[in-house]
Amino acid sequence: MSTQDIKHDDQDMVPGRRKFLNTAALAGLTGAGLSVGLSACKQESAPVAPQPGAAAAPAAHAGAAGELNLHPAPGQLDTYYGVWSGGHSGEVRILGLPSGREIKRVPTFNIDCMSGWGITNESKAIIGTRADGNLRYKTGDTHHVHGSYTDGTYDGRYFWVNDKIHGRVARIRGDIFECDRITEIPNIQGFHGIFPDKRDPVDQSVNRTTRVFCGNEFHIPHPNDGRDMDDTSKYGTLFTCVDAETMEVRWQCRVDGNMDLVATSYNGRLAAANQYNVEGGAHYEDMMSAEKDACVFFDVARIEKAIKDGRFTTIGDSKVPVVDGTRGANKDPKTALTCYVPVPKNPHGVNASPDGKYFICSGKLSPTGTVIELAKVEAFLDGTLDDINKSIVAEIELGLGPLHTTFDGRGNAFTTLFLDSQIVKWNVDAAIKFHAGDKNIKYVVDRIDVQYQPGHISADMGETKEAGGQFLAVGCKFSKDRFLPVGPLHPENEQLIDIRGEKMTMLADHPVYPEPHDFVIVKREKIKTRQVFNVDDFPNAVKDPKESGVFRNGNKVTVKLVSQAPAYSLREFKVKKGDEVTLILTNLDKVEDLTHGFAIPKYDINFIVNPQETKSVTFKADKPGVYWCYCTHFCHALHLEMRTRMIVER
Amino acid sequence: MKALRLLSAIAGRLALCATLLQPAASQADTYEVKLPPELATAPRMCDYAPCKDVIPGATTFSERKGQPWYVEAYKDEAGQKKLLGYVMLSTDITDIPAYSGKPVVTLIGMDTAGKFTGVKILKHSEPILLLGIPESALVKFNNQYLGKFVGDNIEIGKSRPEENLIGLDAITGATVTVIAQNQVMMTSGSEVAKQVGILKPVNRPQARFPVSTATPSWADLVADGSVQRLTVKPEEVGLKSDGRPYMDLWFGYLNQPTIGHAILGKDGYDSLMGRLKEGEHAIFIVANNSMDSFKGSGFVRGGLYDRVQVRQDKDGFTFRDLDYVNLWGISAAGAPAFNESAIFIIRGKSFSAAYPWKLVFLGNKIDKETAAKTFANFDREYWLADKYLEGGRPVVVKPDPTWLKVWKDKVVEIIAFTALLLVIAAAYASRDKLVRRADRKNKWPVNAFKYTGWVLSIGFVGFYAMAQPSITQVLTWFHSLLFQWKWELFLSDPLIFIFWIFIIVTVFVWGRGLFCGWLCPFGSLSELLYKIGQAVGLKRFQFHLPQALHDKLKWVKYAVFFGLLAVSFFSMGLAEQLAEVEPFKTTFLVGLFNRSWPYTLFAGGLLGLSIFTERPFCKYLCPLGAALAMPTTFRWFGLKRKDECTSCKACAKGCGSLAIDTKGNIDQRECMLCLDCMVLYYDDHACPPLAQERKRRDKAGQPLTPINGKGYFIPIHPAPANTKKEGAAA
Repeated sequence: MSTQDIKHDDQDMVPGRRKFLNTAALAGLTGAGLSVGLSACKQESAPVAPQPGAAAAPAAHAGAAGELNLHPAPGQLDTYYGVWSGGHSGEVRILGLPSGREIKRVPTFNIDCMSGWGITNESKAIIGTRADGNLRYKTGDTHHVHGSYTDGTYDGRYFWVNDKIHGRVARIRGDIFECDRITEIPNIQGFHGIFPDKRDPVDQSVNRTTRVFCGNEFHIPHPNDGRDMDDTSKYGTLFTCVDAETMEVRWQCRVDGNMDLVATSYNGRLAAANQYNVEGGAHYEDMMSAEKDACVFFDVARIEKAIKDGRFTTIGDSKVPVVDGTRGANKDPKTALTCYVPVPKNPHGVNASPDGKYFICSGKLSPTGTVIELAKVEAFLDGTLDDINKSIVAEIELGLGPLHTTFDGRGNAFTTLFLDSQIVKWNVDAAIKFHAGDKNIKYVVDRIDVQYQPGHISADMGETKEAGGQFLAVGCKFSKDRFLPVGPLHPENEQLIDIRGEKMTMLADHPVYPEPHDFVIVKREKIKTRQVFNVDDFPNAVKDPKESGVFRNGNKVTVKLVSQAPAYSLREFKVKKGDEVTLILTNLDKVEDLTHGFAIPKYDINFIVNPQETKSVTFKADKPGVYWCYCTHFCHALHLEMRTRMIVER
Repeated sequence: MKALRLLSAIAGRLALCATLLQPAASQADTYEVKLPPELATAPRMCDYAPCKDVIPGATTFSERKGQPWYVEAYKDEAGQKKLLGYVMLSTDITDIPAYSGKPVVTLIGMDTAGKFTGVKILKHSEPILLLGIPESALVKFNNQYLGKFVGDNIEIGKSRPEENLIGLDAITGATVTVIAQNQVMMTSGSEVAKQVGILKPVNRPQARFPVSTATPSWADLVADGSVQRLTVKPEEVGLKSDGRPYMDLWFGYLNQPTIGHAILGKDGYDSLMGRLKEGEHAIFIVANNSMDSFKGSGFVRGGLYDRVQVRQDKDGFTFRDLDYVNLWGISAAGAPAFNESAIFIIRGKSFSAAYPWKLVFLGNKIDKETAAKTFANFDREYWLADKYLEGGRPVVVKPDPTWLKVWKDKVVEIIAFTALLLVIAAAYASRDKLVRRADRKNKWPVNAFKYTGWVLSIGFVGFYAMAQPSITQVLTWFHSLLFQWKWELFLSDPLIFIFWIFIIVTVFVWGRGLFCGWLCPFGSLSELLYKIGQAVGLKRFQFHLPQALHDKLKWVKYAVFFGLLAVSFFSMGLAEQLAEVEPFKTTFLVGLFNRSWPYTLFAGGLLGLSIFTERPFCKYLCPLGAALAMPTTFRWFGLKRKDECTSCKACAKGCGSLAIDTKGNIDQRECMLCLDCMVLYYDDHACPPLAQERKRRDKAGQPLTPINGKGYFIPIHPAPANTKKEGAAA
């Protein structure tokens, strides 16, 4: 670590160095001169060499708390997982941080010919198919990734990500970092924000994530079946609650205006979404017309009570209960399902502070940040606060184009300023005091230029109670001159910033393939992964090589295969032209990391099977001939020899 | 003629090809062979497996029985079925994977005494045995088990008899395979041995831990033994030191909540414990600044970590890739830096953290030229401190170390031997009294002790107890002093150990002669033969080498010593072979007639020569004598001399050791302390100055006063009172 240690200009951060400089300077002044200076220098470097026989040299390298190892030496591990959305690449990516090394891509809404995602029957079933067996969608646009919570912090069970294009939410299992469920939300378009709750609002003893909330950006007719297409006043948006375990849609809530980002309170009672189009405009000039938009709050328990009481409707074919959260239907705060906190203009981003007290909305078109005190929102809903505007405890200027905010757990907020290409660090308490009238107080602590035009921002554990305050990542939408040019399309620029000190320090640029939006940075201790699969988890597993074979039922043929390095259990298998072939492959190898591939030339098939995993593909054997199926995933010294022949008889 | 030669050359080539092809063909004998599916399940296992091959003499076999499975092997004896032993199929008992990630399917035979009778590989999937190493290497490896007891501690590496550890030679290039195979053999054997009552099943109650309260620092953990260090020096694996240790490991047990929290932090501890099932245990290992990796790379393909194991008594626990979890970091304040780390999970049922266990590191030394590896085990014990166990540490009856067992077994011999040494030492310490009692004609007061010493040395010490000291022990010391001193090594032979303490003490007190001349079994035998020769009338054939020649030849033994010492630094093995210049092994340890003729001839020749000349081996060849002669220079008490000795040759003439030079000086390094010259010293008929004085007094009519401590008659003084006084004092 020593050579890679991040040196700060800030004196407080490197007391040792400062002390040394003092010592040296003092030594020079007193004329003791060079020798003292040199000995001080020696003292400075001495602790690097461990004392022979000494019980312990100071901890270095592998991840003592408070260290940022940007360049882990060979064999060293990163200290954080970064879970990144992939934007319109449709995927999720797992990085090691703070090095920024990409460790895995999790195909989610996209098709991935490495893993066979979108090719195997199992992945198709998750993505969803049409009646003909083809995928319903091949595109997706992931924006926001958020993890499941227990006791206000990540528990590593799940991560959820949205698909803005088709209105779907996907769940990534934290133990294998693969997508296991995708749910399509009815009657919405432009599914933007997503956030899991942190505590069950109905049963407070369940202090973990049970629901996932989804914001809906685009107004559409309800149902969107060809009616009301020209009457935008009849368009609407729905706030959606999805069950975290079953991934079924539990309910939806109609609101005034639209929703993009979503936040949830630590006590489970409130969910909120910022609204940039309270006007319900269909064109951008209409959407920008009002000076104040809003942040809409949902009282989750009340909504679920209303549904229990039968106060809901349904839309079209959807069975999902829909409650009315519009202003008109919620005039009495004491029974209101929703309330609308005014926020200036076209806000973007709503983020919960780690102390659980505040939600912070950014103005986007207004240079302001709005701090909403949750206790006061609850008081308003309880009828003890007369005016919802009083829940706004600060509305302070931050800079041009404020978007998203993250936290260091020490009372500071970091907000991206899209137009200024800056991050502003500001103190929340100071901002509240300033708003309350103390005009002498300085709430802005620091600003740093970023390259260029930042969107999302996320500090280590920043959206949990355990906000670590070590470093943050900021997703800059433009990289321009920061990387080797590769033609007109540039990568985005993810930057890492040290936030341990009073001042921020730029640490690193990382090019990313378009286009990650949001991301979370999770302490590695929170993640507990499996090493190999459990063969029993797959109902169609071929658990014994002796079960291998070709099984015919009319023209439906099932080929059962197992792989054990360096061979498939069948050296060849025969099917007839015209057969509908389902090939099931179980990888019986138990050795960690011994993954096999299976490619069928000319049949457009490739997929992998991890140790003890089973996958299957179904295809029409429409081309007679010999097809050498082979292992595409390097497995063994005899990897090249690992083949089998598919013989399609005429 | 020419054509014929050509033809024969071709034939020769063909034959050569054939022999070359043969092993190639047999190499793939059991590689991925198809085994009958019934083998895995059929009750009559031996119908499908060559059970007879692994338990010679068996004719019938039972059905599979027990849990896990084994079969009983019988032979017909006069129509009666007699139980010969047991046959087990490794895969019935354990699925430990080898290098390929698949088990080596092994059929194992064991007799009713628990000794392995046969090992046969039915199927393996080891690519390494296909690609470079002949399968016969594995067969040869397996043959090492034959005759070994299943309850022994058998490990890959060097034997360590002082720790009851039997080593097996590994196969270079196939470490993972043989480590897995050892685990398979010992696990299979002991599982069955436990079922049939050969081994007592080990039942260690699981540890219960008190609630975590304190958060110890790293230094605390080191102090109370919760983390232990295992260091291997480069010299120990035959490497040149570059200032770093070859391996410097810290390790500890993680399930214990206080230790686990201290090492992993709360998140890390909870996460790790969440992974463990009941009865599973986690340990951590970190290494820093080591020359090599403790993980090795064996786990990469086949999944087995081939360099670290845990051992609890006879139970070994290896780790495969699925037993590995990343160690993120060490929370404990003051933890050392590390560049390699691991958490390993012990999944064996028999492991209990309440009892001591060892971390075993398997090092290997690679010969650069042949790439051959030799293996060496290093281990370090770990036992949770009382305060970390509910109810403290359980009582563990540890078997005595081997050396202690030997001492207990030989207690009678040890007492007798010690008594012998003490008596001889006491006798020598009282030599002044003894020599005064003796005279030139009757040396029995001295010789009674010396000859008793000889006879007991030859019979009891030499032939019975085989406690003949040897130069090899001196060489071993040199190496031990320079490299690593192990008391166990020296304590393992109690008589030799005691003998050496005696030798070292007496060499510095009196010189080497007391050992060499009185107690060395071979020396005693050699001189006894000379004396017998003398007694039986061979005296006229007996001779001494001329003093001048002797004075040259006596240096030869020093050359022999330094030669051996020098060789030992290059090869201890070679030095030990060359140490056969000592005929001790042939004479006492093995027996003159149990060795090949060159040895017998050499030892017999020396003994034969001893009849005619006194102690030829001791004088000219014995490296041990040379080694002891040098410190003898610094002995405290020498023999007495008189001023007249410088010119008188009386003693020199009778000195069997030829140790007295022309000036009358005794060469202490050559002197055997026979005390002949001391007998003369007080003998007024033999010592010329004394005889002269006696004659003078006789003539003068003066009385013969007693001889004083300086070897002179007490002078007669004018004052009678004084004379009386002095005489009384003398």
